[in-house]
Amino acid sequence: MLTQTTRNGEKYIGGGNAKLAGLEGFMWVTRRGAGTVHQQLMGKWPLGKKDVSQIFNNILRRQIGTRSPTVEYISAHPHILFMLLKGYESPNIALRCGIMLRECIRHEPLAKIILFSEQFRDFFKYVEMSTFDIASDAFATFKDLLTRHKLLVAEFLEQNYDAIFEDYEKLLHSENYVTKRQSLKLLGELILDRHNFAIMTKYISKPENLKLMMNLLRDKSPNIQFEAFHVFKVFVASPNKTQPIVEILLKNQPKLIEFLSNFQKERTDDEQFTDEKNYLIKQIRDLKKPTA
Amino acid sequence: MSCLDCSCILRTPVESIRPEELSQSSIHECLADSDLDWIPPSTGRNETEFCSSNVSHYELQLEIGRRFNNLTSVYLARHTPTGMQVAVRITDLENCSEEHLKALQNEVVLSHFFQHPNVMTLWTVFTAGSWLWVISPFMAYGSARHLLNTYFPEGMSEALIGNILFGAIRGLNYMHQNGYIHRNIKASHILISGDGLVSLSGLNNLYSLVNNGQKSKVVYDFPQFSTSVLPWLSPELLRQDLSGYNMKSDIYSVGITACELANGYVPFQDMPRTQMLLQKLKGPTYCPWDINTFPCGESRMKNSRSGVDSGIGESMTRTMTSERLQIPFSKTFSPAFYNLVELCLQQDPEKRPSARSLLSHTFFKQIKEQTQNSLLSLLPPPIQNNRSEFLAVPSTAVGTKLGHITANQDDTDWEF
Repeated sequence: MLTQTTRNGEKYIGGGNAKLAGLEGFMWVTRRGAGTVHQQLMGKWPLGKKDVSQIFNNILRRQIGTRSPTVEYISAHPHILFMLLKGYESPNIALRCGIMLRECIRHEPLAKIILFSEQFRDFFKYVEMSTFDIASDAFATFKDLLTRHKLLVAEFLEQNYDAIFEDYEKLLHSENYVTKRQSLKLLGELILDRHNFAIMTKYISKPENLKLMMNLLRDKSPNIQFEAFHVFKVFVASPNKTQPIVEILLKNQPKLIEFLSNFQKERTDDEQFTDEKNYLIKQIRDLKKPTA
Repeated sequence: MSCLDCSCILRTPVESIRPEELSQSSIHECLADSDLDWIPPSTGRNETEFCSSNVSHYELQLEIGRRFNNLTSVYLARHTPTGMQVAVRITDLENCSEEHLKALQNEVVLSHFFQHPNVMTLWTVFTAGSWLWVISPFMAYGSARHLLNTYFPEGMSEALIGNILFGAIRGLNYMHQNGYIHRNIKASHILISGDGLVSLSGLNNLYSLVNNGQKSKVVYDFPQFSTSVLPWLSPELLRQDLSGYNMKSDIYSVGITACELANGYVPFQDMPRTQMLLQKLKGPTYCPWDINTFPCGESRMKNSRSGVDSGIGESMTRTMTSERLQIPFSKTFSPAFYNLVELCLQQDPEKRPSARSLLSHTFFKQIKEQTQNSLLSLLPPPIQNNRSEFLAVPSTAVGTKLGHITANQDDTDWEF
């Protein structure tokens, strides 16, 4: 039902009830002498890029009762999603594909397909691209994927913890200032989200993560230091620190106290930040070597 | 429902009347005949081949302006591999808050979707360290504001205003057709190239009416970084009430910009913000000043008194009078121009004409028959010839700037 054939033998994804307004878009495609939306996406037909993304987003929103036929169709043909994802590799269509991809991600079944696919790891490549606008767009999609459907994301991160965080760590070391700053901020948001409690616990149990954050606290960029602080604080504030974490903190106890006392003093207007800093200093000062 | 709403946006570009839009869609049409792999229509993107994303390929020559709350410096630069003159906007992202960064990202991403001769294109965008570089075509005449400051401190001639506004409104019409509200229209965001092409810039406050696949009819959002643009914004946008605002808000800004071009003054320049808002809400309507405004200013002043209560109106008229006294008003504006401004500055947004219908206003009748050269004939030679007015930028400036963030001096390392 989702694929319709016209007299001319042209096929359209979607279709359905001709009375539905969505047909507007399809007829318009015909007037342009174009083929299927599918072919449009493959870049085989000369329809304007913007038009393609608008038609696509439109049919994606179609509902018949509680059913979303287009979402069902794409779930059955997931290569459409991977085609869109691959779009980030072609500068001419990257941003349009990004729009369509984000529209797909609004639907949990489609977000799930992308998250649990091999291709998800390509995002780590796309967000580091040298073209600022495409990298920014890819990051927006990446962030959407990791924040929109909380339960799904928590399940995904728990199942793929090692692989994902291995890749994620590379973003935190990125040469690209914007990638580094934004991925650090997103990391803070992810581990502070209560849905991701299990992931947070795992993350703050690993000494190498603490080391990374301590180094980022001393990054040359104050913005990056600041974002690192918001991850670092979780390590210190946690009531259940693992042995290796306590050891690192103890080894650096005086240095950390001194560092935090002087850390970003110019940020006076942010009261919460000052409070948190004082709390961390107190926590570190009170740290004792476990007697056991 | 949403499909119907959207279909009108979808269709408009195809039904274009304007010749330049036709020429764009014709690219699609001729390609439709061949079954070859799709070649994208020419966009700013293609220029990327010429404009590399390598800092060392650009030789900064002069600082030509500041934008984005002074966070961005705009330079005239030479792209050394091609010798082409380009404009380079450089922003230190380290000084930008998360919101600023988002706004910048939004601007560069959106500007790639606009392909219209009267809308500013960006050629390449890249980062070098924490510095964001945006490369765009060099507009030799700078902005309309710059023209006012340099050559027309008492305002432009009607012919020049017509040429500039017509180009700007064409760009605006394109944006409106695509479902965007510009929210940042003022003379300093209308740029004029060396060959007389007018293009609309200042895309950092754009608002898309289409969100999540649905087109909204009203907007409530207050533009984030808008302190410098307040004098141009419409009363309904500034009022921030439940009725919201729409594209017609831009039309109000066009009206204020028309006055700005005519008077040479930044509108409401010396007025406190609240007083400005009161005047916008209660009148008198802002207007272009000419020989008739002032000598017969008596009647106008009476109007303003009756329109505004208490002392506010009077102090306002007084400032306007003192300004006027200093300016010898020798020019006159046509009724058509007055009518255009009046239409744009109407209180009721629904009564204001759309950008498209503005283009067929009688005021623009003559301009449509002219070519780009007519705009050039009204202007002195572009700034390349009198560069001395700008301070030259030593090319080392970039180097020092890039090294701006120095590593933390304190070199005690953590112990792991």
